[in-house]
Amino acid sequence: MTLFLRLFFSAVLLLLATGFVQAQTSGWVRASHLKAELVSDHQDLKPGQRFKLALHFIPDEHWHTYWQNPGDSGLATSIDWILPDGVTAGAIQWPAPMAIAVPPLVNYGFEGPTILVSELTVPATYKNSQLVIKAKVDWLVCKEVCIPAEASFELNLPVTQTAIEARDYKKLFEQASQKQARPVSLQGRYDVQNQKFSAVVQMPEDLKVSAFFVAAAELVDHAAPQEIEWVDGELLLRQQKNTYFSQAPARFELVLNTLAGPVLLQLQHEGVPLAPELSLADFSLLDWLGMLVLAAVGGLILNLMPCVFPVLSLKALSLVNSKNSAQNTKAEALWYSAGVIISFVLLAAVLLIFRAVGQAAGWGFQLQNPLIVGLLAYLLFVLGLSLSGVMQLGIGWMSSGQQFTQQQGHKGSFFTGVLAVVVASPCTAPFMGTALGYAATQPALAALAIFAALGFGMALPFLLLAWWPGFAAMLPKPGLWMEKLKQWLAYPLYLSAVWLLWVYGRQQGLDAMALALVGLVLLGVACWLWGQQQLQQAGQVSRLIALLFVAGSVALLWYPQSAAQNLTQTDHAEVWSEQRLKQLVQDGQPVLVNMTADWCITCLVNERVALNTDSSKAAMALYKLKYLKGDWTNKDPAISSYLRQFQRDGVPLYVLYWPGQPPEILPQILTPDSLRQALEQLSSKQPLITSQ
Amino acid sequence: MKLKFALSLSALFFAGTLFAAPQVGQKAPAFNLTDSKGQSHSLADFAGKTVVLEWTNHDCPFVVKHYSGNMQGLQKQFGTDDVVWLTVISSAPGKQGHVTSAKADELTSSRNAMPDAILFDETGVTGKAYDAKTTPHMYVIDQKGVLQYMGGIDSIPSAKVDDIAKATPYFSNALTAVLAGNPADPAVTKPYGCSIKY
Repeated sequence: MTLFLRLFFSAVLLLLATGFVQAQTSGWVRASHLKAELVSDHQDLKPGQRFKLALHFIPDEHWHTYWQNPGDSGLATSIDWILPDGVTAGAIQWPAPMAIAVPPLVNYGFEGPTILVSELTVPATYKNSQLVIKAKVDWLVCKEVCIPAEASFELNLPVTQTAIEARDYKKLFEQASQKQARPVSLQGRYDVQNQKFSAVVQMPEDLKVSAFFVAAAELVDHAAPQEIEWVDGELLLRQQKNTYFSQAPARFELVLNTLAGPVLLQLQHEGVPLAPELSLADFSLLDWLGMLVLAAVGGLILNLMPCVFPVLSLKALSLVNSKNSAQNTKAEALWYSAGVIISFVLLAAVLLIFRAVGQAAGWGFQLQNPLIVGLLAYLLFVLGLSLSGVMQLGIGWMSSGQQFTQQQGHKGSFFTGVLAVVVASPCTAPFMGTALGYAATQPALAALAIFAALGFGMALPFLLLAWWPGFAAMLPKPGLWMEKLKQWLAYPLYLSAVWLLWVYGRQQGLDAMALALVGLVLLGVACWLWGQQQLQQAGQVSRLIALLFVAGSVALLWYPQSAAQNLTQTDHAEVWSEQRLKQLVQDGQPVLVNMTADWCITCLVNERVALNTDSSKAAMALYKLKYLKGDWTNKDPAISSYLRQFQRDGVPLYVLYWPGQPPEILPQILTPDSLRQALEQLSSKQPLITSQ
Repeated sequence: MKLKFALSLSALFFAGTLFAAPQVGQKAPAFNLTDSKGQSHSLADFAGKTVVLEWTNHDCPFVVKHYSGNMQGLQKQFGTDDVVWLTVISSAPGKQGHVTSAKADELTSSRNAMPDAILFDETGVTGKAYDAKTTPHMYVIDQKGVLQYMGGIDSIPSAKVDDIAKATPYFSNALTAVLAGNPADPAVTKPYGCSIKY
């Protein structure tokens, strides 16, 4: 027998002999060139909980074990769990690997103490008072030569009503998570062609990547030089393909060594649709309930937002108008709520589908489509004409589905709810940025529930009005003033139409806007003809002409899309670009980034009251703040991914960069003092040193 | 954005350099090595025969695993006149697995191995030409000198003898197919084992 074999067998014997049972830890198992123990982060477990086990390796100096992709040779450590029924164990949560050169080969693995964490779940139905965990572990420990080992570990943990953490090992688990790569939400794709592995990762900010590790085995030639380049918000990776490459996996983990430590993301094969695969493991019930409440509150506040106001006024009028019984009012309120909630859920579904097909669609995307903007302007204009009395959209008038209202009030209420949501969506972004960002990263059902909660919050005032007759009684009695009020309410609609046309003009250019205005005139004629016809002062021909005019006005919106236009420098801001931001931050300049869109009223209000003011300009000058502004009016993928970096799906977003400090996100609603206060606070933490 | 992605990807691909890695379906890299008897062999000498290359290192636990009987069984099974089995040692002098001629022959007889020759590749030139990475690491070259299989000996990368019976015998299947005039499937697999001590 060779020396090696003797060593090997004696190692195995030693391992079997030393395994002993003790709570929280299996005790050390000594093998050749490595000792190992299995440790629990809990000393007492309770049914229904998740807990962590750490396989703690301490190899001799310069001996190493292997990562999930061991590289050119070697073998990844594997754990075979033997668990009671119902108890499950997740995959190993690997530490960030290092490259170990064995010229001409390269391995990926770990030197020094190494902690491999696995998460286990005790089912809620677990009855036993003890949980016996057995693990059969295979590892290969190498320096120049390699020694495989196999060991069994056993833990016996009491299961009681209260879970108790194992305090002795808290530090060990903290160390373990410090050594793991931090998951980031960057999207990346790869392909293997022409002898090269190539990947592109959407990375708005250069994280200064120095090395990368692919978790897929036999994909790259591990010893070949890595080409890493960051260009224009994209990280490009290249490496020679592995000689033994045979099949491209659909997706695998990628670890990037960045200046701020290792980060972890998923790389998808180019042919695979970019669907963030979300498992229930990423899903926390408590977070989710919190977000539901937050979403409902956000929805409630939406009623006060400027872009909801016209619809709100429509609905308020309708309720005032209603001569219905309390019973009927309740029904109307319920139908309205249904309209709001279903529309939110539908919009969310569309958003999820858009995400799934890999488009950088953000919230408010329906206003990024000029055709939709133009049609909405037309709709609001026609509603306004109806309010002004040019023609009647039924007797109650509320939405495009309004002709049903007289006979079927429920349907009218329902469509009012729908309209409220369509107009409100750009306003949801400012208020709901966080919740939306959260929802977008959740499993589809959880995300839909969040949006439903948003709708519920928005509909809540009307439900209250219906169920709280006292509240309704506080509303003024119907009378002649109502006709006046109705006519007055036309003007907010006209203003909304003007605002939408302005957005349209920004998107499509002056000529297109002029054509849309011609379309409005045609619509005006059509509505007038329609009104005449309603008053029996015109024949069927004019109805036909009216329809032709409507068709003509819609046709005018098919103006060829103008080329992407740049944000003109209208105020003291510079145009945002990833390079410019990076450059300024590198130069140690304080920077304010303002992400905005023309259709975002909150953004414009913030700029008006808080950024473009003399006091804010003075503060910017005082602190030598550079002001970068990004325009998201049309979809801009660079800005979309910048937003995602801050878990946001919409604008506004204000980020303040102060040298030596992490980027600070300012609130979405700015007050005149917000900027100055933030600057004062940051400068007191770290005074600005100007190099002059 | 999609377009930009496609452009940057294709730019990357066109920048791909030519790489002289061995490829199944191409001529196998030529070699000229001396065996444990002092005789030199080149690939061209074996035209008309199917050639097996087996990289080895007798101290490597993965080699030990397969020399528990599996490797000898394969050498015996395919030990016909049509097949030339060459065991190659690329360990550099002073590194694990490097042996003298006498030691090599002693290992052959003590392990009841039956290769046609044990070749020494101390400089590692041949090993690197084949991109041989591990021990064991298997290659099959057909009668025309075309590489038909490269990779692992079987499908379960472990050092445990028990796993041999459970594994898919990639190399054995490939050699059987090539001898029958068929392409190996799979023709490229993951080599596993110790790194070759170049």
